[in-house]
Amino acid sequence: MSQLRLGHPHLGLGLGLRSVHFNYILEHRPAVDWFEVISENFMDSQGRPRHVIRQIAERYPVVMHGVSLSIGSADPLDFDYLKRLKALADEIKPHWVSDHVCWTGVAGRNSHDLLPIPLTETSLKHVVQRIRLVQEFLERRLVLENPSSYVGFTGSTLDEWEFIARMAEEADCGLLLDVNNVYVSCRNHDQDPVNYIRSVPHRRVVQFHLAGHTNCRTHLVDTHDHPVANPVWELFRLAHQLTGGASTLLEWDAHIPPFVELHSELLKARNYMGNAFFVGKTEIPGELDEMELVESAIPHPLHHSGVEVQ
Amino acid sequence: MSTSLEAPEELGRLQRWLQAVITHPDGVEAGSASEEAMRWVEAGPGNLERVVTASSELTAAQRLGIYGHAYYARLIECLGEVYPVLQAAVGEETFSGFAFGYLQTYPSRSYTLNVLGANFPLYLEKTRPQPEPAEAGSETDWPQFLVDLALLEWVIYEVFDGPGIEGTMPLSADQLLAIPSERWAHVRLRPAPCLRLLSSRFPVNAYYTAASRHPAGMEMAWGAPEASYTAITRRDYIVRRYTLTSEEHLLLSSLIAGAPIGQAVETLASSARIDEEALASRLNIWLRNWTAEGFFAGAFF
Repeated sequence: MSQLRLGHPHLGLGLGLRSVHFNYILEHRPAVDWFEVISENFMDSQGRPRHVIRQIAERYPVVMHGVSLSIGSADPLDFDYLKRLKALADEIKPHWVSDHVCWTGVAGRNSHDLLPIPLTETSLKHVVQRIRLVQEFLERRLVLENPSSYVGFTGSTLDEWEFIARMAEEADCGLLLDVNNVYVSCRNHDQDPVNYIRSVPHRRVVQFHLAGHTNCRTHLVDTHDHPVANPVWELFRLAHQLTGGASTLLEWDAHIPPFVELHSELLKARNYMGNAFFVGKTEIPGELDEMELVESAIPHPLHHSGVEVQ
Repeated sequence: MSTSLEAPEELGRLQRWLQAVITHPDGVEAGSASEEAMRWVEAGPGNLERVVTASSELTAAQRLGIYGHAYYARLIECLGEVYPVLQAAVGEETFSGFAFGYLQTYPSRSYTLNVLGANFPLYLEKTRPQPEPAEAGSETDWPQFLVDLALLEWVIYEVFDGPGIEGTMPLSADQLLAIPSERWAHVRLRPAPCLRLLSSRFPVNAYYTAASRHPAGMEMAWGAPEASYTAITRRDYIVRRYTLTSEEHLLLSSLIAGAPIGQAVETLASSARIDEEALASRLNIWLRNWTAEGFFAGAFF
């Protein structure tokens, strides 16, 4: 686990920190390699969430993962937000700071969703310029994640993997490759997830995300409320082989299981990090046999920290 | 460092269009036909595939509908986490109706969801059906109960994650009693940054307590109107609620507003008509209780 990726260490297998597990982690100090924290849940906190994150950051390696940077928005960058983000990073000293290749709102509004960017030369240039500004402000290299998406634009001229590859090279940023998002988006856009995984610049992948999704028959939704699906594990196997391995994190945001159960789901990743070779199928079978089908679902909710009252 | 970047006009137009479409309360087809959407991209319900691609399984409208459905569902869910007792009191369907209307009046303009629900009590107050004169303040004035309960829940939510006194030494009773008696009247008390007072027309604090002990899913009576007063604060990162008498509320309000103890006591004595001896005895007990609960960060002259 010692090799550096863009100067960042391989942290091993980590979990997304959620408030329902605060007490368990503080009391039991489970043997988890690292935690990823949602930046916005802590950056303004003057109460228990901030108190807890200080303690966890003393005991475990942490990474900050944001949902509000809105790097692809046509609105100006929010430097008040960036100032607070930087202050939290200065305090808890994460190994890196990440967010998504998306926009969350425009004209001063925030949908609190990770909305897709039209994949054009113009928006690529816009995003690259903004990443450079953010990196300069934060005084650190940004790590950006491919989001799940449900629409594509007729005006798009680039494939998402091409957009992301060029963005990472031109802005000199890292990539958080969300393997579940690759699978969800490719299924929704009738594209090949294996080709996607093969096409991103592997040396820029600093981190992987794993999560569960929901099958709505006609499309998949990134709900973060299920175990990781088999095809996603197989894609992870391929991504691990192509990159040589990177820090890997399991996200779970709704119907969150007890900590021990969550941890054991994460540890399944070990089964896909060995030498067994990915067979190279572009169609990954198995999902329809094992997953419950539902009519509709909500993409993963952006959760609050639970309030404690007496 | 230069921080100004001109966004490509085309990108801005597309994003404003998409936002107008997926946040429209009547769905994406109505959204695409709206004046706001048409201002940015002229693609009505029949022309959505000019802008958004269809997939092998879904039309452009159906794909946009995934975002439209998620927008309200996700934010209503967040509001339910801020107002869980109110949600349980009125039921999920009614609460969702309130929240749906609220999000149209107060869409999020912040990077954080922590302030999403800040105007919800005000929204309920402004949109409440006005009671008939005979109903005002009576058991049938149920909108007032909901407004009072929403205010209580918002204060609890704010106090939970706002500034507190953890890691500091709040003013103790001994420190207060050590002040020479001749200077007492001039002492001012600095409230803890997490201390809030609420005055309600319904006993919503008692309702909140009962609701937290009540089995989920079982209906609970809302109770009769009765003026009630609550102090909300935080110790050891846990929000604490204290029911106050009207006299305690009046005195604490004066002290929090910065009045010296002597003036605050005079205000109370003149409005509550309590005789001096009884007031002195109660004051002693109140100050002991309040300092024990960490209501004050310090004292000054």
